[in-house]
Amino acid sequence: MNLEYIINITKPMLEGAQMTILLFLIAIVLSIPLGFLITVMAKSSIKWLAALANAYIYVMRGTPLLLQLLFFCFGLPLLPFVGEYLVMDRFVAACVGFILNYAAYFAEIFRGGLLAIDKGQYEAAQVLGFSRYQTTTRIILPQMFRVALPAVSNEAITLVKDTALLYAVAVPELLHFAQTAVNRDFTIVPFFIAAIIYLLMTLVLTAFFKWIEKRLTFE
Amino acid sequence: MAIIHVSNLKKSFGNLDVLKGVSFEVEKNEVVAVIGPSGSGKSTMLRSLVHLEQVNGGSIRIQDDYLVKDGAYAGSQELKRITAKMGMVFQHFNLFPHLTVQENLELAPKLVKGESDEKIRQRSNGLLEKVGLSDKAGVYPAKLSGGQKQRVAIARALMMQPDIMLFDEPTSALDPELTGEVLQVIKQLAQEHMTMMVVTHEMGFAKEVASKIMFMDNGEVIEAGTPEQLFTNPQFERTRAFLNRALK
Repeated sequence: MNLEYIINITKPMLEGAQMTILLFLIAIVLSIPLGFLITVMAKSSIKWLAALANAYIYVMRGTPLLLQLLFFCFGLPLLPFVGEYLVMDRFVAACVGFILNYAAYFAEIFRGGLLAIDKGQYEAAQVLGFSRYQTTTRIILPQMFRVALPAVSNEAITLVKDTALLYAVAVPELLHFAQTAVNRDFTIVPFFIAAIIYLLMTLVLTAFFKWIEKRLTFE
Repeated sequence: MAIIHVSNLKKSFGNLDVLKGVSFEVEKNEVVAVIGPSGSGKSTMLRSLVHLEQVNGGSIRIQDDYLVKDGAYAGSQELKRITAKMGMVFQHFNLFPHLTVQENLELAPKLVKGESDEKIRQRSNGLLEKVGLSDKAGVYPAKLSGGQKQRVAIARALMMQPDIMLFDEPTSALDPELTGEVLQVIKQLAQEHMTMMVVTHEMGFAKEVASKIMFMDNGEVIEAGTPEQLFTNPQFERTRAFLNRALK
């Protein structure tokens, strides 16, 4: 075991980590607004819209993410008639799965954030003459995001680790290269290196969210 | 002519009748203290005036405009225009926790009235000085005591330059030693002839500051009169019984 070997196996793993990070960024940037949209739908006074949003949350949270990924990567093309138009690049299909799944979790987190806001806030805004839109954007949302922040941070860290599920749909990423090296060289070292890379990613993410939380402490 | 004219106001929550035909008038520059036991409908009555509660019947007229006439509400634009004449102060302050004291004061004039920054800043500085909190302008509400929060809430309501100020138990959530500073601000407003309605349990304050006392019990106005009339010579047994308990 020498340094050269470690550098040699770390290189492809870092390349794989690029895929991990790319998936993470795409999923987080798109699932948070989508999740917020679902929260708004679930709170809507239009009954069928709210029911649709709740059914969506139930299905996406009630089934395994792995099943959903397999469904989007390998299941959709098997659908009769429309299947041939639904063949996506596996990475793209996996992104769709991650976005749709995480949006459901974020929707629940934001719903909790809304519940935490005292009804006195709405009353004060009404009496001061704010429109509904002004109340939502200037009074409610800033407070909701602040309340939801620790849960969002938690969810984001889970997402980093869940990217390893790409392994199961054969998209080469960090874990894929680690596993390949283990099988080829018969050593446990690549697993340790993979763990360290994951830890570094979650460390950066944790620090980032701590920084935001600190900036948004209203004291 | 009365600035607030309420007649036969009715409101129920399910089977519970909270207001059973409440009628009264408030003249310009009058300070009305509303007293009565818990659950008598005082707060509901006050909240109805700014449309925080939807009534089931009766009329509310503010100056010449009907907020609700025989149970039928004005259109939403009209509602907004009428309720804008009133400022409201809540028991639990309801300050916006994510905004500093000065931002709490300035957001509504900016967004709702669209006034110039300069004009708004001048007024907010003046009002902060008036409630004795000039040094807290950049502080978030979490750092304030209850009494300070309520003084900010009063200043925030005054920023909209209302003709009438409504106070819903403004000192009930405060520690006893902090009520004085809030009552002092309200007293000062009374001296400046602001028209006010104050729902309160502070009998001493009501006696000293109010020009009229209104006693409510069980969803009705039992009697109203000057503090002398009501405190020394109440006409109804229910008023007498309440005062005996409250003044003990």
